[in-house]
Amino acid sequence: MNIPIRQGLNRLFTTAALLSVVLIVAALVGILLPMVWRGGGAVLFRGTVEFRRMQLEQFNRGDLSTLRGEIEQVTSVRQRAWDILDRFAAGLDTSELATRVRQIHRDVGVQLSHRGLLPDEVQRLRALSQQLRDELLAAFGAADKAEGSAHLEAVLSHADEPGLKDTAAAVYFDIARQYAHVLTTVDLSRRGEYAQALGEVEAAMRALLGPRPGERLPAVVMERYGATRWDQAAQQLDRLLWAERWQADTAGQTLKKVRIPREQQFAGTELAELFPYVQHNVRAMLLPRWTFYGHYFTDDSLSGHYFGGVGPEIIGTLAITVLAIAFALPVGVVTAGYLVECAGDNHATRLLRTCINTLAGVPSIVFGLFGLAFFVIYLLPKLGLPAGSSILAGALTLALLVLPVIIRASEEAIRVVPLAYKEAALSLGASRFHCFITVTLPAALPGILTGLILSLSRAAGETAPILFTAGVAMGPIPTSLAQPTRTLSYGSYDMAVGDKMASLAPYNQFGMVATLIAIVLLLNAAAIVLRGRISKRLRGQ
Amino acid sequence: MSHKIVVATLAMATVAVLGWGAYLASGQDAKPAPEPTALQIEGSTTVGPIADEFTEAFKKLHPDITITVKKTGSGDGAAALIDGRCQIATMSRFMKDEEFKKAVDKGITPVAHAIALDAVCVIVHPSNPVTALTVQQVHEIYTGKIANWKELGGPDVPIVVISRDTSSGTYESFCHVVMGKDKMAQTIEYVNSNPQAHDRVATTAGAVGYVGLGFLDDKVKALSINGVSPSKKTVIAGQYPISRPLFLFTNGYPALGSPVYAFCTFYLSEKGQEIIEAKGFVPLTNY
Amino acid sequence: MSQSSDSPLSVVSSAEPSASPFTRPLLLTAAEDWIGWFLSKLGRAALLAVTGTSVLAVGLILVFIVREAWPFLRDRGLSEALGSTQWYPQAQGREQFGMLALIFGSIYVTAGAMILAVPTGILAAMVLSDIVPFRVRQAVKPVIELLAAIPSVAYGFFAILVLAPLLQTYLHLSTGANALNASLVLAVMAIPTIVSVAEDALWAVGRELREASYACGATRAETLLRVVAPAAHHGLIAAVVLGMMRAVGETMLVWMASGNACRIPSPWWDWTQSVRTMTATIAGEMGETPKGSVHYHALFMVGLMLLVLSLGLNLATETLLARAKRAAGGKA
Repeated sequence: MNIPIRQGLNRLFTTAALLSVVLIVAALVGILLPMVWRGGGAVLFRGTVEFRRMQLEQFNRGDLSTLRGEIEQVTSVRQRAWDILDRFAAGLDTSELATRVRQIHRDVGVQLSHRGLLPDEVQRLRALSQQLRDELLAAFGAADKAEGSAHLEAVLSHADEPGLKDTAAAVYFDIARQYAHVLTTVDLSRRGEYAQALGEVEAAMRALLGPRPGERLPAVVMERYGATRWDQAAQQLDRLLWAERWQADTAGQTLKKVRIPREQQFAGTELAELFPYVQHNVRAMLLPRWTFYGHYFTDDSLSGHYFGGVGPEIIGTLAITVLAIAFALPVGVVTAGYLVECAGDNHATRLLRTCINTLAGVPSIVFGLFGLAFFVIYLLPKLGLPAGSSILAGALTLALLVLPVIIRASEEAIRVVPLAYKEAALSLGASRFHCFITVTLPAALPGILTGLILSLSRAAGETAPILFTAGVAMGPIPTSLAQPTRTLSYGSYDMAVGDKMASLAPYNQFGMVATLIAIVLLLNAAAIVLRGRISKRLRGQ
Repeated sequence: MSHKIVVATLAMATVAVLGWGAYLASGQDAKPAPEPTALQIEGSTTVGPIADEFTEAFKKLHPDITITVKKTGSGDGAAALIDGRCQIATMSRFMKDEEFKKAVDKGITPVAHAIALDAVCVIVHPSNPVTALTVQQVHEIYTGKIANWKELGGPDVPIVVISRDTSSGTYESFCHVVMGKDKMAQTIEYVNSNPQAHDRVATTAGAVGYVGLGFLDDKVKALSINGVSPSKKTVIAGQYPISRPLFLFTNGYPALGSPVYAFCTFYLSEKGQEIIEAKGFVPLTNY
Repeated sequence: MSQSSDSPLSVVSSAEPSASPFTRPLLLTAAEDWIGWFLSKLGRAALLAVTGTSVLAVGLILVFIVREAWPFLRDRGLSEALGSTQWYPQAQGREQFGMLALIFGSIYVTAGAMILAVPTGILAAMVLSDIVPFRVRQAVKPVIELLAAIPSVAYGFFAILVLAPLLQTYLHLSTGANALNASLVLAVMAIPTIVSVAEDALWAVGRELREASYACGATRAETLLRVVAPAAHHGLIAAVVLGMMRAVGETMLVWMASGNACRIPSPWWDWTQSVRTMTATIAGEMGETPKGSVHYHALFMVGLMLLVLSLGLNLATETLLARAKRAAGGKA
């Protein structure tokens, strides 16, 4: 081969090699960046007044008076939107009325039981109340005016029942009269047409602004607040302003998504003015402001990770990793000391080294299996603890996992200590043990520390060993070692595949994994800096 | 001389600790249950959202009870109950015969509490024009006989079949009604939770899967099976073919007034039923 | 206290106490310092006990895994495990435990990852050892080690939430959770390990060989490919095997992203189909088996096979690294 070809090949090789480095860096950036970016959105974002309200009510954080002022401000703007909606919905969406009617029945029941009436009478009145309720529900669900009117007549015929006076049942009759009026004025044939769309509009309004003021508090915390973040609000606004339908061009073909502006959908009705109003005033309705949610790292999570933060997960991760290191460090350092100081080149030492290398090569899921079979099922019950997941079992399993790392790092650190130190100590009369404790170990401490930090980060990131031994998806901050705990690693796994709320709150999903990555990377960076300092110190000798 | 004393003390302490440990390990049996105010719940991902919300509600109502929840599958819950690792197993299917037998052999008496009703809905991507299938057709999809949507009146797109893994109660309920004795094809994809099944179907145009009623939303489309579409009414009336109750299993009936009792009867309260309905499932009572 | 006159110290100790510089004898016999003798014996025993923990741990792992896998071997036999691809552990009364598909899945995903990772990793190692300036190498090495520390759950997160939809949209695949997805991300996970160890191996080759090659007129590419790499081949192979170990033992990523379809893809070279690995099977099905059931023992059998595979690879690594050390140690 002549020289130009060889030089050309050389250049080709260099380009290919540099390309591979670029590829690696691009892959790693491409993996980390989306996760950290989206996770960062859990901590730094535009929070709305709903967020501040949630923080005050659920976490007791924030200034009550300013919040009250803000709520007054937004309520005055929102009220018009709710009014438009209510006016239109009066004839069409009866789910609100249905809920009220159910509540009345329950209230009547409670009131009757406190009246001091005879049980037979209470029974009869309760049954009557239920009958009235069911008649009203049937009236709401009636498809045409005549049927509805018939049900309402049946209800109003009991309007003078003496046993129900001064009870909540009086409201039954008000509702019946109101609805009778609605029946005469509203065209029920439109109901089917608009009912589904109206339901979507209601749901979108609720998701955007939260429940109406004065409405009954929903049982689920997530539904008590509107959009807590501005990006969420933008999504909900989009859901409010655009209807999405799947339509086919030809039968049997894949449907295509079609977006129809809701103004167009409700054109000609009173509801049409709702949409431009909300669109122009959404900022005034929500008062978004840049928020730094630093308490994300200490708050507990609410409503299944929809609100709140990752505090308990961080505590759980710290607890289990610190405990694992506490088990592994003494054993590891002593073993490393033995290997360097006392071990001869005999079979026992070779066996020991083989075992350490074997431990290093066992897959993490096999550690999990072993932890389950040995610690959870066999050992801990013998010590009197219940046979369930516990921090102790998880920590012991993780300790075995990181033991080889600590042994290797400590061995390297102890070996690198200059022989001069040891000889000086021994020549002054110290015993070998004394020399080890007072001279070698302190000199090797930075290296051992590096190994400790590396194994901390390894233990924090492992999921497979704690799947069966210590991890739970939801639980309190543990108060004893015999309880299982939430951790960042198990939580990330659960959020990615197991949690329904997670897909509704992707910022929390990514926030948890970004926190885990941040902790692990910080620990490793600290170890690397430390190692740099050590090598500088050693080179300076 | 001083360091020798230190080392001697340490050595004595080590021996003492080891001896104490040996004594402890020698003759004691495993204690059957943890302190009475800690509750461990394991099991189904379908019942998972309900269990999570109940746990949240309990934080306010019974702050002295600590509850941990693990959602990995009904089979996991049953196994944990049998091994004594949890007090309540949430399951979206009834216990199998072998599980019952194993439980009784180990001295556990499983008692079922039905807390809600659910339907196993067959879902497809919203862009899929197919809206109704029969049980036989679903059977053929899952055994691999039908491999393309065009055989069902849809577009020419291969069917991506998604199933829950074998530890799932939803899987068992589905198999019981749809598969019968037949095994599922080997080419189908397994996911390990309801939310994951939902997400896979929502992002894959040719996918078909099945989830509980509480996991339906506008990102997926539920098909009607044998002409009946899943809803609260059809489930209560038993018309929807793949309906099932959701269970909590305990070891014997829980002692009155205990935390287990409080949790297992919470669904009877109005708040419990509201939570169940808010999560999309069918409450048992007409509250 | 009697001292024999033969004792080398008796000369010193018999001198007047005030004249000797030592306030106590230098070496005491056991009888004189029984506390010290006892402590040293106890210390050695404690030392042995503590260092024996590692040995004990490995022993226990092997014992417990084999113990729990033994009922499966006894009742069902190795032939069922290795002879069929039908894995139906929950079919009542007619369970089948054919692990061939699982083994194939593990090997498939690992092989895919290695095909992607080995060329990239070794080329990158060559860049670091020979092409970029020393300062850049010192700066980049810690970054690569940092990247090796990212937990696998994070990679799994990325694979199922970000990469799977991308694969579905841009490659028009029917499913984004498949062997391709798992192999891609597994390759990214294995690369830092490969680069670290390979780079160390290339660095250890030393300057003389390189200088001799350049002196003969070889270009850099020829030096690296024809001289340095063969000289470091033990270390390079060790790097590849270590990367393979990382890939084989990986659980969370494959459980989340490989689709978990228990079958051998047909045709076998079709990356875009879902597969299931041994690790994912254990992680996914362990929780549902009560202790003592056939399924429980079958899963431990899978764990045993995984253990055997990993230990085999481990042994290979150790041998290769020892040979590399010997080869490098033979030089100045």
